[in-house]
Amino acid sequence: MTSRYQGIKRVAMLAWAASALVAGTAAAEELKVGVEIPLTGSLARVGSGMQEGINVAAEVFNKTNGKHKVKLVTIDDESAPAKAIAAVEKLAGDGVLAVTGGYGSNNIAPAADAAAKAGLVYVTSGGVDDNLVSSGRKNFFRINNVAGYQKAMVGLLEDMNARSVAIVYSTKEATAALAKDLEKAWGAKGLKVTTHAFDPAISDFKPIINKIKLQDKPEVIAMIGYENDYVGILRAARVLKPAVKAMVGVWSLATPKMAADFPDLVPNVYGTALLPYPAQFTTADGKLFEETYRRLYNKDPDYLGQFGYVQSMLLFEAIARAADKGTLKKGGVAEEMRKTDRETLIGRVQFGSNGDNLNFTHHMGQHQGNKVTIVWPKDAATGKMNYPAVPW
Amino acid sequence: MSELILQALYSGLLQGGSYALIALGLALVFGAMRVINLAQGELVLLSAYIAYSVESGMGLNPVLAIPIALVVVCLTSAVVYFVVSRIKKDREINSLILTYGIGVILTNGMLLVWKADIRSTSSEWMQEAFVLGPFYSMRSEVLFFGVSLVMMAGLWWWLSRSWYGRAVRAVSSNRDAAKLMGINPGYTELVSFIVAGILAAFAGVALFSYGVISPAYGGVLTVKAFIITVLAGVGSIPGVLIGAVLLGVAEALTVTLASSALQELAGMGLFLLVLFIMPNGLFGVRGRRG
Repeated sequence: MTSRYQGIKRVAMLAWAASALVAGTAAAEELKVGVEIPLTGSLARVGSGMQEGINVAAEVFNKTNGKHKVKLVTIDDESAPAKAIAAVEKLAGDGVLAVTGGYGSNNIAPAADAAAKAGLVYVTSGGVDDNLVSSGRKNFFRINNVAGYQKAMVGLLEDMNARSVAIVYSTKEATAALAKDLEKAWGAKGLKVTTHAFDPAISDFKPIINKIKLQDKPEVIAMIGYENDYVGILRAARVLKPAVKAMVGVWSLATPKMAADFPDLVPNVYGTALLPYPAQFTTADGKLFEETYRRLYNKDPDYLGQFGYVQSMLLFEAIARAADKGTLKKGGVAEEMRKTDRETLIGRVQFGSNGDNLNFTHHMGQHQGNKVTIVWPKDAATGKMNYPAVPW
Repeated sequence: MSELILQALYSGLLQGGSYALIALGLALVFGAMRVINLAQGELVLLSAYIAYSVESGMGLNPVLAIPIALVVVCLTSAVVYFVVSRIKKDREINSLILTYGIGVILTNGMLLVWKADIRSTSSEWMQEAFVLGPFYSMRSEVLFFGVSLVMMAGLWWWLSRSWYGRAVRAVSSNRDAAKLMGINPGYTELVSFIVAGILAAFAGVALFSYGVISPAYGGVLTVKAFIITVLAGVGSIPGVLIGAVLLGVAEALTVTLASSALQELAGMGLFLLVLFIMPNGLFGVRGRRG
């Protein structure tokens, strides 16, 4: 009899626990968000970095927002435009409310079009081509752009009082666009500018650097490419030793990873950087991001993670606001994204009518010792620039 | 200007040496089996990642990774052979598809193990400048150019003087006649795959020592190797070096005299031009193999 009573008690307790679990799940509404991102192929490295930031954003959002929970549905676009379209269409079929991710302007453009066709918001930080925001995409949002990178590089060379610069740039869409804008901007400021476009497949940069050394003779070499290009250019420069005063790059260069992997190549080299290294997060949001990132990935957060975090957190917040207003299925997410106006890890974010971030300005960092020091703009600087100074 | 052209010729020569080392394995297997091994670039990359692991994990010079790379890459190459040898019909076209698939598997395997980050040597000695009068290069480039020449001479000697080398040539010329002479074609083809693995092992360590690697790079290597093999004349091993150097020099001169953006285009232009004028390649002879 006693054992029968205990059995009934056990079943009752299990039923109670199950009902409590169901009630708890119902209380926190689950919002499905699509992630379309390159995890394999040529953009796997940057895609993986952005994905880490997106995952951190979801973790932080779910921890801090008592009412809503986001659930990420991730699809690898294999760094290919056709696969990016298929990924977004599959996500739309799965019932996601919006899409975050995307890397490479040529992948983002068709993916954003597919999202627009499905009535979904698409937010990214992986494409800086101006065409992305000038083609009338209504549900497209971007937190960074060429203008922000250009402003930082132009400002740095202004502070250096440089009179001539040789731009070495990859013929990829984003890098070529930035190089053309820089050529115009520096030319307008009276600098002598020479340009050298290179095919993304090349690995030996010595013939280019030798041309710069013997013919251009600039004060500064500006490198507009990606990590593998920087390594090739810096190695060629180390061998040929052109008489320049500074080596300046853009994204993926002033990072802890480059300092750790190529300690002989990067000393005194400049690159865009959101934060110094070791990272100094001063805001509550920043500290929460850093703590969560370290817990999930056991490493220092990098700029890709920061961008992925910011774009996704803004999206999650907009979705939550739209859910509260009951406008999720009535274009509410895009509407709430347009109302965004807040300080983030990359500064203040407000979206213009074309979906571009109106306030984006980058900082410039310099590898000094094992650290990355922010040297431009002056109000954000964490140290003085070493100039003239080159890695060799 | 002459200084620029001299440096371009020198850079092209060294680059050609590295291309040749990568292309040799592909040329050998095609010559022996009429199999275009589209996973050859991934085998080279596998060796490069082994060099990375040895350098970063054990703190050793990447050159010391060669013994480990030899074992792993040759075993992988042998596995590729066993899979390819299952093909009984339309070997040329089916092996293309099959080895392409193997390449994709290897790429994703490397992505899982070594992640998507770019890798290259941090050895200061390898990266230091080697200056010879007006010529500038990295020490690693000169070192592996020498290795490339030695490997090529060794392969040439092996194919023309050793019993197995002759067997490979016999099988590639006439498989049935070779069988009648007491040669086991299967075993001979396996040997050619293993030799291609040896070449890939050296090429990979060389690549890691002067270049930058990432998992997606294997396809680029295979395409380059394929161009050189066809440019040289399919089956012509000595032609591989000349074809590779020609490609390297053409690319470097394009950068110097025109634009670096046209470098890859110049390589393809040269490739098409040679095929248009000499359909059998620079050194190919109709019907010749090995």
